[in-house]
Amino acid sequence: MSLLEVEDIHSYYGESHILQGISLEVEPGECVALIGRNGVGKTTTLRSILQLTPPREGTVRYRGEDVTGRPTHEVARMGVGWVPEERRMFSHLTVDENIRIATPPGNSVEAAFERAYSAFPELESHRGREAGDLSGGQQQMVAIARGLVGDNDLLLVDEPSEGLAPQIVAAVAEALKTVAEESTVLLVEQNFPLAMDVADRFYLLDHGTVVESGSTENVTRDDEMIRRYLSA
Amino acid sequence: MTGFELTATALPLFAPVEITLDALSKAALYIVIASGLSLIFGLMGVLNFAHGSLTMLGAYLGGAVMVALVSSATGQGMRLLLFFVAVAVVFAALTAFGAGVERVLIRPIYDREPLFQILLTFGLVLVLDEAATIVVQLAGLQPQTEWQDAIGTAPEFLAARYDIIGTSTRGLYLFEALVGLLVVTAIFLFLTRTRYGLYIRAGSEDPEMTQALGIDIRQAFTVVFGVGSGLAGLAGVMLMWDPRFGASVPLGVETLLVGFIVVIIGGLGSFKGTVVAGVLVGFVDAVMSWLFINYIDFPGLPELVMFLVLVTVLVARPQGLFGVEEVGGH
Repeated sequence: MSLLEVEDIHSYYGESHILQGISLEVEPGECVALIGRNGVGKTTTLRSILQLTPPREGTVRYRGEDVTGRPTHEVARMGVGWVPEERRMFSHLTVDENIRIATPPGNSVEAAFERAYSAFPELESHRGREAGDLSGGQQQMVAIARGLVGDNDLLLVDEPSEGLAPQIVAAVAEALKTVAEESTVLLVEQNFPLAMDVADRFYLLDHGTVVESGSTENVTRDDEMIRRYLSA
Repeated sequence: MTGFELTATALPLFAPVEITLDALSKAALYIVIASGLSLIFGLMGVLNFAHGSLTMLGAYLGGAVMVALVSSATGQGMRLLLFFVAVAVVFAALTAFGAGVERVLIRPIYDREPLFQILLTFGLVLVLDEAATIVVQLAGLQPQTEWQDAIGTAPEFLAARYDIIGTSTRGLYLFEALVGLLVVTAIFLFLTRTRYGLYIRAGSEDPEMTQALGIDIRQAFTVVFGVGSGLAGLAGVMLMWDPRFGASVPLGVETLLVGFIVVIIGGLGSFKGTVVAGVLVGFVDAVMSWLFINYIDFPGLPELVMFLVLVTVLVARPQGLFGVEEVGGH
């Protein structure tokens, strides 16, 4: 059974028909990349899985259970974590508080700190600072750490390299690889080489539908198909 | 010239201690009045126009508890103890009422424009104020002026005046400042030390992200609307003994106005801002009241200057002193 099955979902922002029948599957342990140009529906797909933008048609199944239309916090509690675009720090909370709030009630907060700061040692010296004061790269680490401590089996990671300096992107890519070894990841990434490096499989989206999918092995930017859909 | 000099020597040029004591008691009242409004708007983006009416209900309910139980109080200390019984009763009753209002009335319209919430809570003002007028008249009480029976339940040592550094002040004002400090400390500890407080601070900043971390934000809305209503009621209990206010139906509108002034100056949704603005407005009110009593024969002076401060802040810093650009949401 797939961990996540998305079947022919249609999602809207107001009257705009953004997702026009997306179907995809993610198996346990995989890292799957969603690629495609800006505005083709990659972020909306992640939002629809979390029911932040509930699909009007189609179904989202997690662990075989239909979660379409369920409240977002219930889907999150089933083990779906979100590392969103632009990181969405609670900028007035400290780094520690950002980790604490992501820790499910009943879990040890100390263990969560241990997990977060061993994954990202750089954050340890900033624990008491407001997250909004950190650099972009450090904020991205906090965002990923929030996903790590949440007992999640599936992480939805959206544009982790966006707006980061090249040397920081390399560090984030390393972090992502570590995360992908421990958890199942559905990754949205504009940085094509990075996406192909981290992911096992990919789905190529255009105009709210999947136009191509397959293994990331031996896929290069020069593939006719890829070039056609990724060039602006 | 001689006449002017005569008046000038007869009147105190400035009375810092008197003004400070008056300011601190007013600041405490204003902060408690505004804190619930601020918490609710910060998390939910709902401007609760019924907040003042809940304060009015709190003043009457607290007064009723005092009047009903005061005969059983042996000694003045017991009356003080009864005050905290009244606080507990009113806080519990209004928290439950507020939570019910959120569940039944406000929840169905979260997805509508803010205007719907404003109209709904404004409608609630009309219903609550009219209902209070009817009940109060049936009970043979005043609806318009202060309820003297309730004011009369204050222990003598609070109603008495004391000399503090050459100024005479009511014990009650010091008591109000103390209760205000307790309430601010309690809210601060709730927000910073409890898991629920963390949810509220996070939810005020980014409700969507908070939900995506597995937190039931709708439940947090109910709790915060309840606690905010309870705080409005608590403010009413603080006002029931105060001869400057007292339990009356117009108390609702009076306190709503000052609550809005404080919350907007401080920055909608910032508790720190509410506290700072409450102190600021308390001092402005105290200084202007003192000038009115001693020099400037214009009773509207304190309110006029409060609104001038409000307008100045809005022009210079539209989000308020400590406000963030964007708050609330569903």
